[in-house]
Amino acid sequence: MRKKIFLVALVGALSLGASACSSDTESVDTTLLAETTFTVDGAWARTSPMESTVGAAYMSITASADDALVGASVDMSVAMMTQVHETTTAADGSMGMQEIASIPMVAGTPLVLEPGGYHVMIMELVAPLEVGTSLTVTLTFESGATTTVEVPVLNEAP
Amino acid sequence: MKNLRLIGVIALLSLGMLGCGADQTSMVGLVRDQPLNVSGISLPDETPGATEPLFVMKAQPNELLMVYFGYTMCPDLCPTTLADFRSALARINSAASRVDLAFITVDPERDTADRLAPYLASFVDRYHVLRTTDFSQLQLAQDAFLAASSITTNEMGVIEVSHTATAYFVDDNGLVVDEIPFGLGADGFENDLKILINQLDKG
Repeated sequence: MRKKIFLVALVGALSLGASACSSDTESVDTTLLAETTFTVDGAWARTSPMESTVGAAYMSITASADDALVGASVDMSVAMMTQVHETTTAADGSMGMQEIASIPMVAGTPLVLEPGGYHVMIMELVAPLEVGTSLTVTLTFESGATTTVEVPVLNEAP
Repeated sequence: MKNLRLIGVIALLSLGMLGCGADQTSMVGLVRDQPLNVSGISLPDETPGATEPLFVMKAQPNELLMVYFGYTMCPDLCPTTLADFRSALARINSAASRVDLAFITVDPERDTADRLAPYLASFVDRYHVLRTTDFSQLQLAQDAFLAASSITTNEMGVIEVSHTATAYFVDDNGLVVDEIPFGLGADGFENDLKILINQLDKG
């Protein structure tokens, strides 16, 4: 499960194009701002018991340039809502989760999503996650880049 | 990853500070000099076919009881812990039949018995569904284990649950003989279960 994706980020191209529409002539500025490579390793999602409508996906994401993970999604045929969460520990030792808007990524340093830490939380599952199946998770980055990852469903971490 | 390592280090340091005990240096969970006594705690047992209305926090004679505070809508900590526990039971072979599970829901409004039983059955064969909607009763149980939980609703209307994610191993006297914090994985469970079972066999 290793996926390397070359993305051409055309950040701001559409807005530039829109701003260029002030004259009779429509134009789109396709300025090439950056080319970022994303590598995703060890992606997996835990099986979800029949009675639970939530699941979690884990993986290690490495970007070739500084960026930030700002979102994740799955098709609505899989689940109705997907968020990036962080498990935190309170002063009394109890652990909980909260949605996190942005996780900074340093170029070349893996961002690890793992049990007890950052994870993709999949809510309102349409059907349980079962071993032998997989789901496609789309990751969104602050730069505007996106990448899709095929995530196998497993009982334990690979 | 740093958080998990930190938990492991804290557990190991705690062991060092808490002193003596058989096999202590090999245990990865927390072993207290003065074990918590939870024998006075009982909660409604909503396990299908349960013969007693209340479950007392003691293992069967010469067995171990794992107690965990969690909830079925938990996507990360609970299934990770239960999956690790399941893996460890598989590794200790026949001794697994001497390890029971008591799962105490901290989210009793959503966790009805008909949800909890099949949820637990997806992980283990032996379990007890412990559920009370009397939060003072739940609080007493948590206090006995030095555990905590909370349920809040955020501004988006999403219910947020936090809870202590430690797995407690209780002996047949109702003493907590081992506390495994989150993050030690199946290897941690396996390690300590083997030692605890061995201690049981030695009497």
